[in-house]
Amino acid sequence: MFQNRMEALALALPAALFAAFVFLVPVFILLSEGFRAEGAWTLAPYVDFFDSELNRTVFWRTLKLGAIVTAVSAVIGYATAWSIVTLPPTARGRMIGLVVMPLMISPVARTYAWIVILGRTGFVNQTLVGLGIADSPIRFLFTETAVFIGLLQLFLPLMILSLISALENMPKDAVPAARVLGANWLQVFFKVILPLTKEGLVIGGTLVFTGSLTAYITPAILGGSKVLMLETLLYQRVTVANDFASASIIAMILMVMSFSANLLLKRLATARNKR
Amino acid sequence: MLKTFLASTVALAALTGAATAQDKKLVISVYGFAQDEFKEIVYDPFEAQCGCELVVETGNSVERLAKLEARKDDPEIDMAVMSTHDALAAARAEITQKIDVSRLSNYDKLYDIAKDPVGDNMGVGYTFYATSIAYRADEVTIESWEDLFQDKLKGRVAFPNVTTNQGPPALYMLGQAMGDDAASLEAPINKVAENKDDIVTFYVRSSQVAQLMQQEEILAAPIGRFAWGAYSKMGLDMAWATPKEGQTGGMNVMVLTKGAKNEDLAYDFMDFWLSTEIQTKLAEALVDSPANAEVEVADEIAENLTYGAETVKNLKLLPPDVILDNRDQWLDLWNEKVGQ
Repeated sequence: MFQNRMEALALALPAALFAAFVFLVPVFILLSEGFRAEGAWTLAPYVDFFDSELNRTVFWRTLKLGAIVTAVSAVIGYATAWSIVTLPPTARGRMIGLVVMPLMISPVARTYAWIVILGRTGFVNQTLVGLGIADSPIRFLFTETAVFIGLLQLFLPLMILSLISALENMPKDAVPAARVLGANWLQVFFKVILPLTKEGLVIGGTLVFTGSLTAYITPAILGGSKVLMLETLLYQRVTVANDFASASIIAMILMVMSFSANLLLKRLATARNKR
Repeated sequence: MLKTFLASTVALAALTGAATAQDKKLVISVYGFAQDEFKEIVYDPFEAQCGCELVVETGNSVERLAKLEARKDDPEIDMAVMSTHDALAAARAEITQKIDVSRLSNYDKLYDIAKDPVGDNMGVGYTFYATSIAYRADEVTIESWEDLFQDKLKGRVAFPNVTTNQGPPALYMLGQAMGDDAASLEAPINKVAENKDDIVTFYVRSSQVAQLMQQEEILAAPIGRFAWGAYSKMGLDMAWATPKEGQTGGMNVMVLTKGAKNEDLAYDFMDFWLSTEIQTKLAEALVDSPANAEVEVADEIAENLTYGAETVKNLKLLPPDVILDNRDQWLDLWNEKVGQ
């Protein structure tokens, strides 16, 4: 397309310089804070960070909730996406519209709605008590359960949409062929659907996991300070303790977790492929 | 020639214009809350009176303190308002300077506790608030800070996080109720830790408590009096506790930046804000409780404020140096015991 490589590079240069100066350099400065103590380069701040029991608890909780939300949204996502792609085109369009709709509502509004729904006098508790399942209202708010429900609702649409596009790209006769050859539904899913849609799962999984790690509003409102996550801890370190060094450590941990999750999911996908 | 002359005239005019505007500009740094009311009651009338431009910067205390510190050698902000302990931190960091109270004509009208709350005249109090327990009178009775942990309130009470301005004073009063008033707050923090599963949440914003109360999620919580307005309008049987150990609270002060470029204007502005007229208007708008003892308001307004010599006299405020010197240890102890 270009007469020579130099021309192409020259055209890319302004954008590259812009990205370097307004993104990479500040990010480097911010993250390097965590590797410096008393003017020297060191890993000590990270050791100190993980030395604190609170920080470890928050780290594991963030990882655990992120993994559970991703896993559950994958299960629900496959079932939903499969039922949507098998619909006739008009109905499919409508259903996709319904899946997308929550994404158009502000996360703040969606999360506040959960405060009402999950409250003592909310819909869930009224139903549970009304049906005799619970004697008295159960406390959901400010628990890990509430944060899990909030995050799942927040990110499930992203998983469903990624899986819908993956399932749509799957050859139409792959599933009937497997069935004709005698595979049961479990085999069809694990040997045909999953390998053929793994790209969608990797994209959806990365979006959901990264989103769950870095969500601030939902854990802040539904979990509060009793269910601190890395993101809410980061906010606390900056706004309360004015401790930018810890904040940059948390930012670094979040970045590493996101990249690792993406790599891990990709690795899992290729591993299945080779088999 | 004519062209050059015209050009230089324009340039000169522009320069002098800029210089006058610069002379008559006051930069202040304030909390982000109730800015519409402040604009109407304080900023606009002051601008009209001084014929100057008022630049208002807002943000939370940490952001604003960080900014003041960053511009220490060349301050752009002339005066700021903050809590007494932040003002003490600023004074220790040599960001602020002593206020010459003789230049404030309204100074003598202030309640005694507002006159020099930081020490060395490093800040002048312009408002304060009581902190006590808001509770559902039809469900529970609260006569002591320890009543927060009564059986009826298990799973139905919220407590301020130690990181909020209400947290340490509430813990301090809890300590008093337990017969321990050590500045380490160890006893009350342990007490909260023992009961943490029965506390619905450790709130960070007062608006959050109002919502939980409205939803009947909680029946009691220690709150600042400035938030009381929302509770009295809920249509629930809400009451403001007067615990036997007393009420606590906090105070906000005005500080003058060291090396402020518009010191005269800053003094004029502080004096204006402390005047009986402005303090009355702010009280009537339920924005700030008056620190000016001459302010008189109607009973239904007074009910929503921390108002009157008697109330003010009985406030047990944590001294700013106690807060500042212990804050980090409180946070560590809290995180260790309560935050897990």
